[in-house]
Amino acid sequence: MLSFIGRRILIAIPTVILVSIFVFTLQKLLPGDPILVLAGEERDPQVIELLRAKYHLNDPLPIQYLAWAGQALQGNLGVSLRTGVPVMQLIKDKLPVTLQLAAMAMCFALLIGIPAGVMAAVRKGSAWDYGATALALWGLSIPNFFLGILLIFLISVQLNWLPASGYVPLSESVSQNLKTMIMPAFVLGNALAASMMRHTRSAMLGVLRQDYVRTARAKGLLEPRVILKHALRNALIPVVTIGTLLFGELLAGAVLTEQIFTIPGFGKLIVDAVFNRDYSVVQGVVLCTAVGYIALNLLADVLYVVLNPRLRTR
Amino acid sequence: MPPPSGSPRPEPQKPILSVAGLSIALRGRGRETSLVQDVSFSLSEGRTLCLVGESGCGKSLTSLAIMGLLASPPLEITRGEILFEGRDLRALSARDRADLRGDRMTMIFQEPMTSLNPAFTIGDQIAEAVMRHKGGTAEEARAKALEMLKRVRIPAAEKRLDEYPHQLSGGMRQRIMIAMALVNGPRLLIADEPTTALDVTIQAQILSLVRRLQQETGSAMLLITHDLGVVAEVADEVAVMYAGRIVERASVKDIFDDPQHPYTIGLMGSLPSLSGREERLATIPGSVPAPERMPKGCRFAPRCPFCIPACTEAQPPLLEVAPGHEAACIRAPLEQHVTEAA
Repeated sequence: MLSFIGRRILIAIPTVILVSIFVFTLQKLLPGDPILVLAGEERDPQVIELLRAKYHLNDPLPIQYLAWAGQALQGNLGVSLRTGVPVMQLIKDKLPVTLQLAAMAMCFALLIGIPAGVMAAVRKGSAWDYGATALALWGLSIPNFFLGILLIFLISVQLNWLPASGYVPLSESVSQNLKTMIMPAFVLGNALAASMMRHTRSAMLGVLRQDYVRTARAKGLLEPRVILKHALRNALIPVVTIGTLLFGELLAGAVLTEQIFTIPGFGKLIVDAVFNRDYSVVQGVVLCTAVGYIALNLLADVLYVVLNPRLRTR
Repeated sequence: MPPPSGSPRPEPQKPILSVAGLSIALRGRGRETSLVQDVSFSLSEGRTLCLVGESGCGKSLTSLAIMGLLASPPLEITRGEILFEGRDLRALSARDRADLRGDRMTMIFQEPMTSLNPAFTIGDQIAEAVMRHKGGTAEEARAKALEMLKRVRIPAAEKRLDEYPHQLSGGMRQRIMIAMALVNGPRLLIADEPTTALDVTIQAQILSLVRRLQQETGSAMLLITHDLGVVAEVADEVAVMYAGRIVERASVKDIFDDPQHPYTIGLMGSLPSLSGREERLATIPGSVPAPERMPKGCRFAPRCPFCIPACTEAQPPLLEVAPGHEAACIRAPLEQHVTEAA
């Protein structure tokens, strides 16, 4: 088991290096020159030259990359070209907000998606199944921004139940924080709940046909135990794996949701950075996201083995 | 229904299981396809009844119907009665039937490779059956499971308790299934082709194990098989099924010595013999009719060498041709026709 995890980590390292090279070069290919932004209105050629030298922008690209990667390894992703704040500090401030949002969205997706998927599979072909399937289709097809605006209009403007936007840190007030986060989490988790429901349903349908489910019934076990222990335990193996990977997509989906509800998270950070051509911030954020993705992939692989005794070595 | 006789053993007491007029159909899209029709038999305590027939003849469906494990819908019992220990199973609630399953009546399946849950340990799966019906603590159930593993001759039983099914061979897994089926001391054990998926050498071991444990516990066994070698070894009585109906029912001795239905005779003919020097195995010409295209008369008529016009007109009833020996053939006993032809 440990050697498996070790092997997976070793495989992940070249992926991280490739991603960092990609992030670095992509940034160079983007139109727009941050030095021109920095140099201000006058764009004095001397100032520009000085700035280029200061940021080593005249060095060959591989040298630039190595310098950047070396610093990044030590936790230094540079400073924001706009504000001078260290990029690492920005990430530390903003990431927890988005992680909380994504975690809440995930909880919501699991609480809705898995029970709904189980019910749809157990009552296949019933009104419940068709209802859940239709709802899932709706959940998958409605765009985040539309649902967000719809909810703001209904719940905040018409009913005045929850604030339309704004953010209160968790450390300040838990209840206020939850009030501002619950609607964004619902919007973000909506599509995920739908796809969790679909995955759970199809995994359950496959498992319910298995001989060991018949064996469980032949033992005299009652239906709830047959379904929740013997069937669901096996059906959850692919669902957990997919869920872990989809969590990464939640982080990406948060960009839009955070914009709608003006939550100062990771997504908002990257959007602002791109608009400001804040090179180092974009690089840092993209690298951080990519590493997060790779880590989630790793976690999904490990979970798959942990949940599946057949893959465990003796 | 008269109890089967003709066996050299003393006549056993009351039947523990009696099935009368059981019919099973596949229902769907407004159509009903009959898969099992008018099946009747009874089984007494401590006895073994073999249900014999080729695949698709309805023998597994019959056993699943007795257990209450038919996939319903689309499969449904359309008529008939199943009495177990004097109780009409069809009249029982789902809960009461589940209370019987795994306790008073248990089942072993054909595929040991897939019949155990891959996500739980052997010990957990056996102990679960104990706790469901006998209660008690997890430790007691585990001790019971261990004792049962030893009885089914699992080597290093203690260690196996904590292993997963994938760590065991097919033969070992079938022993686990047997342990699970017998751990609560059932009165009726249904074994659906328990040796079909196993190697020939393992088959004999498993068969003698089941036989021995059955004798130790005194439970009745309904053994589903297509293997006449198995029948000869373990059966007291035999019911031969063809295309969803019982075509012959007799003691094991009568079935082998004096088969009366042409299908049974055909089955015997396709049995390879170690001493024989036949060039090729005998086969029955033609194939089993599809359930939705059953002939009006005798279902075996299209393949039967003894068929006469009357055979295709009405389904022949199961009639006694000798004491304790019944056959559903209007031409039985057949010897006279064979000698006539000769």
